[in-house]
Amino acid sequence: MYTCGIDVGSVSTESVILDNKNNKIVSYVIALTGSNSKNAAEAAFESSLKKAGLKESEIKSIVATGYGRINIPFANKNITEISCHARGVVSSFPDLKTVIDIGGQDSKVIKLEGGNPIDFLMNDKCAAGTGRFLEVMAKALEISLEEFTPIFNKTSDKVDITSTCTVFAESEIVSLIGHGVDKNKIIKGLIYSIADRVTTMVERVGLEEPVCMTGGVAKNLGVVRALEEKLGVKLNIPDEPRITGALGAAYLARDLH
Amino acid sequence: MGIKDRLKTGIQKNLNLRYIKRLLGIIALKPVLYAYGKTFPSASDKYLNIFTIESLKKAYSDNNRPIGYGSLFIPHELFHALGITPFLPEVMAGFTAGLGLAPQTLKEASSHWYSQDLCTFHRSASGAAELDLFPRPDYIITSNLACDAAQKSFYIHSVKHNIEKNFYLIDVPYRYSEESIRYLAAQIKNICTDICSKTGKKPDISMFEETFELSNELRKWAIEVGSLRKNLADYPSHFNGLNFILPFHGLAGTREAVILYKEIYRDLKKYSDKQCKEISEKNKPAKRILWLHLKPYYRNEIFDILYRENCRVVFEEINHVYWQELDYKKPFESLARKMLSNFLGGSIDNRIGVILKAAHDYKADGAILFSHWGCRQSNGGARIIKDSLKKINIPTLVLDGDCVDQNNSSQGQVKTRLQGFIEILNS
Repeated sequence: MYTCGIDVGSVSTESVILDNKNNKIVSYVIALTGSNSKNAAEAAFESSLKKAGLKESEIKSIVATGYGRINIPFANKNITEISCHARGVVSSFPDLKTVIDIGGQDSKVIKLEGGNPIDFLMNDKCAAGTGRFLEVMAKALEISLEEFTPIFNKTSDKVDITSTCTVFAESEIVSLIGHGVDKNKIIKGLIYSIADRVTTMVERVGLEEPVCMTGGVAKNLGVVRALEEKLGVKLNIPDEPRITGALGAAYLARDLH
Repeated sequence: MGIKDRLKTGIQKNLNLRYIKRLLGIIALKPVLYAYGKTFPSASDKYLNIFTIESLKKAYSDNNRPIGYGSLFIPHELFHALGITPFLPEVMAGFTAGLGLAPQTLKEASSHWYSQDLCTFHRSASGAAELDLFPRPDYIITSNLACDAAQKSFYIHSVKHNIEKNFYLIDVPYRYSEESIRYLAAQIKNICTDICSKTGKKPDISMFEETFELSNELRKWAIEVGSLRKNLADYPSHFNGLNFILPFHGLAGTREAVILYKEIYRDLKKYSDKQCKEISEKNKPAKRILWLHLKPYYRNEIFDILYRENCRVVFEEINHVYWQELDYKKPFESLARKMLSNFLGGSIDNRIGVILKAAHDYKADGAILFSHWGCRQSNGGARIIKDSLKKINIPTLVLDGDCVDQNNSSQGQVKTRLQGFIEILNS
């Protein structure tokens, strides 16, 4: 028996098919959401079926999560990303106490007890402390996101970015460049700025180890290191941190039966 | 389009004092009003709406009865005893949200330099006042109890209407003590004497007799409603205990408030007798939610989601009866005791004590603190309240939002937080 989890985020949509016999991921797909979340979910689901060599009828149940979860008519149930991320991480790290998830336009911290979420905090309506913040800054600096980590590693000093607001931070770095400040120092400052925001959220919920980081930004090792330094803990990262929500949804789809 | 939507559209298109007066003149006619009342699902909702409209009609009518603006935390019995029609700008701000007028009133407030950081109850009320949508006040009474914004924004109303001499700010001491009561009672007495000298009314304690009797009757029925709710397993979907702020405060000391609270009791009792046994046998018990602070007054999904997900708000902090019976023979001391007993005044421990007791008495499974933008008195205690409830194993969701300005929070984000919390309660 197979189940599927679909996580429709603001930037990307993930679909994970899980083999319920051995709890192994049969296939997963990560695609851009674009302007139509329903179409993105359908396309991701179909791609994951194709990749797994399965037919739709072989999928016992589907759970949708993410901001677009309510707009997926073929899902059996929609469950919030809080529960799905929690379920997704405990499959890899059963004793986990804290989850930090930084996605495209959303960052959240989830506190776990016995594998279940007991508290959470999500970022407010502002994009600061999310993947979108880094994307906008990368564009302003005319570099790719992939370049952030090597620059972070090789740069010893940083410039403090004082603006919280993404738009104002963009103006601030444009101004810094105009004043001839080293681009690498600005990048390091941006990474610490995102780490500062998230650290505050973690402290509000209460840090307890072991801690795991998920979401697209977990692929950015510069942010991971800055966060580890700020929090003073080692962060566990799943093999593919971007599919955690969809994986959790697939597990929760299994639990529906 | 139903009558409620027609009313909304009408007022949105004709946002001026003349239209409001004309509209109230028509809708407050007994046959129209009672026909309108029939559109509500329960007797308590019917009376709530009828009495609200009647009280607005009184405030907006051009009779010779003086109008008094009062902030939420003053004892409105004072106005009723003095023969003054109370008008509550903060409650009116809730109406601006419900009627879809808040975008206009808030915009007006912004253009008059009201800070974006100011609580939208006060900002929207100030915007409405700037648009001349409120009746002209003769007296304004406010206090420094809990809410700081009221002292300042209400004074601006007095300046606008050139009645600074009729502006009264009650200074409520931090601690409850006999000395505090004497200090507060003296202020209330002075206000009363001053207003009487201006209205020509003879200051006499007998004027408090009927008002206090009715206020005590309201208190008794509010306690009865609370007692009934402690063991109520389910609620009708239309019931929302956060809708009764006007009668609980502004109409305290009137016959209408007593009638309304009797009807709330009857409605819930009837529902309890008919439905609860059947429901509890068929379904799994609902999750019991303790609601802290206020709610959004514009159209929103919060309570529909809670109801759909089998969660019931079993008590609202604002409905806690915190005061003792009033004694008309000691009117100023009684009102002083009422104000000083308010758990939102003084130390945060007062509020926490009430919340923990309510969580216990109403057998709460979880609490939701609606964190209204700019409301320091409530939000300031969020962390310590959450921690205190955690100690008795009650999870708390601090739901950031805005009671008046729907553009100040994303419905989708509110929904995700709420559903995530419900999933935690069910896990």
